[in-house]
Amino acid sequence: MNKKLPALGLATVLALAGCGGNLESDDSGSAAAAYPERAVTMLIGQDAGGSTDLIGRALADPASADLKQPITVQNRPGANGAVAAKELAAAKPDGYTIMVFVGSLAYITPLAVPADQAVDINNYEVVTGISQDDYVLIANPKTGFKDVQGIVAAKRPIKYATTGVGTGSQLTSSLLFAQAGVDATAVPFNGGAPALTAVLGGQVDVAAVQLGEAKEQIEAGKAVPIVTFAEKRPTYMPDTPTAAEAGYKVPVQQSRAVVAPKGTPEEVVDRLRTAFQKSFGEQAYKDFNTQRLLTPNEVDGATLLQQWNGSLQTYKDLVAEHKINLSGK
Amino acid sequence: MSTEPVDERPPSAGPLSNLIAAAVVVILGGAAIAGSLALGAGSPSEPGPGTWPLIIGAVLVVLGLALAVRARDTGEAERFTRSGLLVAAAVASMIAFVAVIATIGFEIPTLLLAFVWLRFLGHESWRTSIITSVGIVVVFYALFVGALDVTIPHLF
Amino acid sequence: MSSVLDGFAVVLEPTNLLYCLVGVVIGMLIGVLPGLGPAATIAILLPITFGLEPVTAIIMLAGIFYGAQYGGTITSVLLRLPGEASSVVTVFDGHALTRQGRAGTALGIAAIGSFVGGTLAIIALTFVAPLVADFALDFGPPEYTALALLGILLVATISSGGRLRALTAAAIGLLLATVGRDDFTSAERFTLGNLNLADGLDFVPIAMGLFGLGEILYNLEERHRKVQAPATVANVWPSRADLRQSSGAIGRGSVLGFFLGILPGGGAVLASLAAYALEKRRSKHPERFGKGAIEGVAAPETANNAAATSSFIPLLSLGIPANATMAVIFGALLIQGVTPGPQLITENPELFWGVVNSMYIGNILLLIMSIPLVGLFVRILRVRATILAPITVLITLVGAYTVNNSVFDIGLVIAFGVIGYLMKKLGFDPGPMVLAFVLGSLLETSLRRSLLLFDGDPTGFFTRPISGVLLAALIAVALLPLAQPLLRRRTPLAAEKDRGEEEVGRGTPEARDPGPKEPQAKQAAAGTPDSGAPDPNTSEERNSAT
Repeated sequence: MNKKLPALGLATVLALAGCGGNLESDDSGSAAAAYPERAVTMLIGQDAGGSTDLIGRALADPASADLKQPITVQNRPGANGAVAAKELAAAKPDGYTIMVFVGSLAYITPLAVPADQAVDINNYEVVTGISQDDYVLIANPKTGFKDVQGIVAAKRPIKYATTGVGTGSQLTSSLLFAQAGVDATAVPFNGGAPALTAVLGGQVDVAAVQLGEAKEQIEAGKAVPIVTFAEKRPTYMPDTPTAAEAGYKVPVQQSRAVVAPKGTPEEVVDRLRTAFQKSFGEQAYKDFNTQRLLTPNEVDGATLLQQWNGSLQTYKDLVAEHKINLSGK
Repeated sequence: MSTEPVDERPPSAGPLSNLIAAAVVVILGGAAIAGSLALGAGSPSEPGPGTWPLIIGAVLVVLGLALAVRARDTGEAERFTRSGLLVAAAVASMIAFVAVIATIGFEIPTLLLAFVWLRFLGHESWRTSIITSVGIVVVFYALFVGALDVTIPHLF
Repeated sequence: MSSVLDGFAVVLEPTNLLYCLVGVVIGMLIGVLPGLGPAATIAILLPITFGLEPVTAIIMLAGIFYGAQYGGTITSVLLRLPGEASSVVTVFDGHALTRQGRAGTALGIAAIGSFVGGTLAIIALTFVAPLVADFALDFGPPEYTALALLGILLVATISSGGRLRALTAAAIGLLLATVGRDDFTSAERFTLGNLNLADGLDFVPIAMGLFGLGEILYNLEERHRKVQAPATVANVWPSRADLRQSSGAIGRGSVLGFFLGILPGGGAVLASLAAYALEKRRSKHPERFGKGAIEGVAAPETANNAAATSSFIPLLSLGIPANATMAVIFGALLIQGVTPGPQLITENPELFWGVVNSMYIGNILLLIMSIPLVGLFVRILRVRATILAPITVLITLVGAYTVNNSVFDIGLVIAFGVIGYLMKKLGFDPGPMVLAFVLGSLLETSLRRSLLLFDGDPTGFFTRPISGVLLAALIAVALLPLAQPLLRRRTPLAAEKDRGEEEVGRGTPEARDPGPKEPQAKQAAAGTPDSGAPDPNTSEERNSAT
């Protein structure tokens, strides 16, 4: 009666590869020197297939070759990564559970959610920074908008799509329009693709999305780049000014880092960092960055904490200065 | 359509169980309304987080009241009988399963749950029960851990 | 056109054929297992594709996606476990057929419908993809609001229980959809402070709990034991009569599925729902639906496969992923160094046509595989219920875990299993609850986005052409029943004929419920007005059918 699934024959064969249990054993903390002696779990707080997921998977392969142990990627999507972050905080600090942490969870989400739901990056050990993602403000060609000046001069209320509440997309647009004195209404969508669709379909006038998502549409002339929020002009978009050049202070990027639970031994963190630096050096990974328009930000833990804590403070000040309420209430 | 199994259906439920169902719906609607008001009801031009649940809550209250009015029409509702205890036992076994799976892995709970269902809920023979429940664990292990590499907590 | 033919040359390379086969086999198996969906599977298999040519990789991944659509039907029909939202509707008649010992017929017609729907959609995709791509862009929040409203209205009409109970279940489904962090304000709604609920409830635990587990618990009550296993599992393959009966449903399902599938977000669900409702509406004996009507399996299965195929259109011709699986395939293309976008067809014709044409082959492979597999799967039913039940329960519990790797979700399945059992005991059909849950967040978020776009002015819905037309249709469907008494009085002759066709109608007590959204309108509008006799029983018989 057990021959109900034709998969079983195949499955049994494959199962011969066999593996040990994945429950947390109690004797693991003993020898950090021997790390790693078993598989490392990499948590990702976003859905499979999203930017963060792809970055994590691109990194995991070469790093596991260096560690000589597999790195198992596990998606624990929810609340912009807060679900995964909470699980990581509760995990044993032995280097066998790590996570790809998104910057927005550390420095933008706290501006939008109540204090008790905010995640503090200082409660984790940062292994290494990964890369940064820039935002670009795009407009539907039918609006006629070509630059921020044009939007201001139109002297009409505009609608802009965001990729969600508490995201960099929302923060960049709201800061820009507050500083430019444009009467703008945010329409939150659920992620980059729906926001982009809303611009292409003319449902909204503009939206800030991640560069990689909009690249093809811009090249095809279906979306007009207004301004990027990068620190300096991205090489593939030399004609689009940055917000700073246009005269606005909107220093917002998405950033990602590998983090471990607080209290992970220093030599384990160093070992992981060495492994990920191997990944960063791979040509395939560099090509991936180029393809996705990601700027490497492969800094050490202390530097990254400084960046992210600095961003949180900057955004808090900017949001207070312009009286922006990200939670939309 | 002729071969539809002939169920020995228990007697139809009385108006009482319909009234209880209606009351549950009204209470659910009331809770939704209370929760929505706490969230902020908003307005059409500025819908708040509570606007939509408020509408649904109101609809539920109305529907619940309508159900109460028509409690005599029992429809397809069935009376709860003694055999409902079997269901309670089955649910208890599953709650035990989920309570321990994270700490001791899925193998032992799976074995026990299968065995309890086979031997005590299904009155299968000891032999069948033991062989089948062991078989289920082996197959599940091969399929989920071996072939699919799912991250379910496992002991081995 | 030559590039289309070149695409066939690409597909027929042995490597590509092999990976197409591997893809559809994996997809079919994944579809059979409840829980782990195609999106997660593709993500897991992504590293394997790194070493492949882009075309080969995408051919395999696409195969997993539409293969899973075939496989998902099997558990819906046999065990009442819909693995995806788009196969929920199949459960109604598919499982009823299984209980009559006609599981083979149901699975066979689903495979044929899937094949026809998929193939017609590929043909349409081949010729009109760039033309219809913009159709997706014309659908903004107001249009989705109208579509979702129409969907909810259909949900209440296709249920087999009474209408009042169906509406109640649907309203609870809508309420369940509001659980989680609000998309617009990040306020936590009804989460009881539980972080596991912050992103809301997941479809899989709800559907598997309400349908699958609820059914098993209900059957535990001893009365069913003696009659559980259908004595014969006859006619493994659909008869000529079944095919004739389903051909219309398959044709209409293909068209509906193709167009609704283009719409990002919820397209496949709406397509299966609309196709089912359309068949029920058109049927001369709508009361058969929910009790084992073969069209009730053919229509949604055809539509969801056509929709799965056409959901490639926004990805391949606009660079917009229409659903989670498309998002992962988008990611796979990026890793391969190909960015899907408006220029894909011109810059990468080999890839575009290679992938499109591989779907013809994949669908043929799936149909061929289905023939022996249907026979094999149907044998599951020969297993005694007392043995099948624990196996199904465990697959359900473990399957629920695999969706989000969450033990909490296993708890949810059990909770919804209990609710499903209680609903069944109290005469509520869980179908409307699950479907309303699926459509609930689409409806709420679209409505609120629309109001933001319109500055709170609801007349905006009517001034946009597509949403205006949709809403007018919706209002007509909802209000026409009120006008029916008038129509009846005017056409006694037509009614006489009509009444003859309706003799099979069987009344349930709920049929007396004069629901405000009486969904007879289309029939009335289609020129088959209702009885002219002032006999109230006639109209009640009709109501019972809906």
